[in-house]
Amino acid sequence: MRNFLTFFSFIFSGFFLQAQQGQASATTTVDSLVSAQQINGYQRILNNLSGIPQGVTIGGYGEILYNQPTNLTGELDVQRLVMLFGYKFDDRVQFVTEIEFEHVKEVYVEQAFVNYSVANGLNIRAGLMLVPMGIIAEFHEPTTFNGVERPSMDKYIVPTTWREIGIGVAGRVDALSFRYQAYLFNGFLSHDGQEGKLIGSSGLRGGRQKGAESVVDQFNLSAKFDYYGIPNLRLGLSGYSGRTQAVDGQNAIPGSDIGVAMLGLDARFKWQNLSARGQFVHASLSDTDAYNTLTGRDLGSALGGFYVETAYNILPLANRQRLDAFVRYESYDTHKNVGTSIVKNPAFDREEWTLGLSYHMSIGTVFKVDYQSKKTGLADSQFGQFNVGVGVWF
Amino acid sequence: MLRTTNIIFFFLGFFLLSFGLPLNENSLAKRIEKKINKEITAVFSAADFTLETSSIQIESNQFLLAHSIREIKVEGQLAGYAFTGTAPSKTDSFDYLILFDPTFTIKKATVLVYREDYGGEISSKRWLSQFVKKQTGVSFIYGDTISAISGATISVQSMTASVNHVFSSLKDVQSTIGQ
Repeated sequence: MRNFLTFFSFIFSGFFLQAQQGQASATTTVDSLVSAQQINGYQRILNNLSGIPQGVTIGGYGEILYNQPTNLTGELDVQRLVMLFGYKFDDRVQFVTEIEFEHVKEVYVEQAFVNYSVANGLNIRAGLMLVPMGIIAEFHEPTTFNGVERPSMDKYIVPTTWREIGIGVAGRVDALSFRYQAYLFNGFLSHDGQEGKLIGSSGLRGGRQKGAESVVDQFNLSAKFDYYGIPNLRLGLSGYSGRTQAVDGQNAIPGSDIGVAMLGLDARFKWQNLSARGQFVHASLSDTDAYNTLTGRDLGSALGGFYVETAYNILPLANRQRLDAFVRYESYDTHKNVGTSIVKNPAFDREEWTLGLSYHMSIGTVFKVDYQSKKTGLADSQFGQFNVGVGVWF
Repeated sequence: MLRTTNIIFFFLGFFLLSFGLPLNENSLAKRIEKKINKEITAVFSAADFTLETSSIQIESNQFLLAHSIREIKVEGQLAGYAFTGTAPSKTDSFDYLILFDPTFTIKKATVLVYREDYGGEISSKRWLSQFVKKQTGVSFIYGDTISAISGATISVQSMTASVNHVFSSLKDVQSTIGQ
């Protein structure tokens, strides 16, 4: 533990000195991004692609993290490395895919869809896509959020990275500063013929099919609306409704599938050096008693929670670099409600404080450090965790 | 086992969507030109005008991938300029229109075509209105004099840098003419 702190303070003081120097010498503004030496990766890629009717896009994001709980052994992990490939067939038709490597050795396809631009503000999309629910589900590149780890409720309630195969529309109404998305998606898998996939501690998370030989029984509806007509503020409303899936033979047995209805509200604010965001998500699950009886699981009948976060950029706004100091409070419970088949587990009622810094060395790279204090509804459950990480997005 | 009603619902939805599909590619260029004409008519209160290629030349850069500058003439007199530019978005590019008065003060900024979904929020009329009435001496600062849009950071910065480049290039042209 002491070694860790020494290591951490050494690393961070180095970065901070750099930030100070940057502050003194750099009077860089967005304006001077146009100077050639300031172009970063994604801009270079865009430059190669854009302006021509067809072409390949290469990009990606990644995060390499160090988690050190105060009471356990630490972990160093290449949490995810995602390579983006896009191909533009013509002015209207584009294919986008993201290949994800999780923990170095697990390979997934995070997104793979064809986007057909019908008109300015109306797109039809089909393929493997992200289910829009809250903020992180859609915007999860490490430079877009504070904290080494994503907010925990985006793991246990939402559950990111949530993607399924589907078809739908996405677009905007410019006069109203309004964005809409509506999709028909494949749902969660609740029973694979062997066991129930959904459990009390992580809710729906274990049921994500991720487009891998996924079982479809009935379609689910997902929609998100964003409003950004008020300066510096963006508001989101997400909804999801449907039923889970079960394999053939199993789906005739009562309790093999459950109903899912989810509602999300989110807000993001950014003004000068100050930024803030918040999110509320609630999911109501039906037929969980039959499911728990059949599978012996402890799935709750309602899960939900919220977080609020505020951050302040310590460096002058005109600087190319940013150093955000932030604090986040989260409260979420995967046993917000339970049916008659089980009793509430207080260990699933979780609360977290996260305090940290995000040092954006350039547009697209970030060095993060934070301390989390976590506890559950159980007595003496409080523990702390240090996290350090680097993230890139290009 | 998929319920039949679900399948019908699925294909009905897709069928209804397909009504919106435009059939030929040339219609895009035509629609852009139509949109430009419509904006000029509204902004300059002139139904009758001509567009002539301007002799003013500026250089492209990574935030201004292509552009055109045309003079708007009403009854033979210079009423302003129509500037169209192409700037990068996350994985594609977008086209925008800026209408200037004869002194290069912005009368209107609008996005003509935004090709991908990501970052399309910059087409918001409210957000674009921040550029109006600004003159070539101004340099916009993202997050300060131009408000950020959460979730559209790349395109907001791209548009801001693109307009800054246009402004500084036009200012150089103006000072050359002034000499």
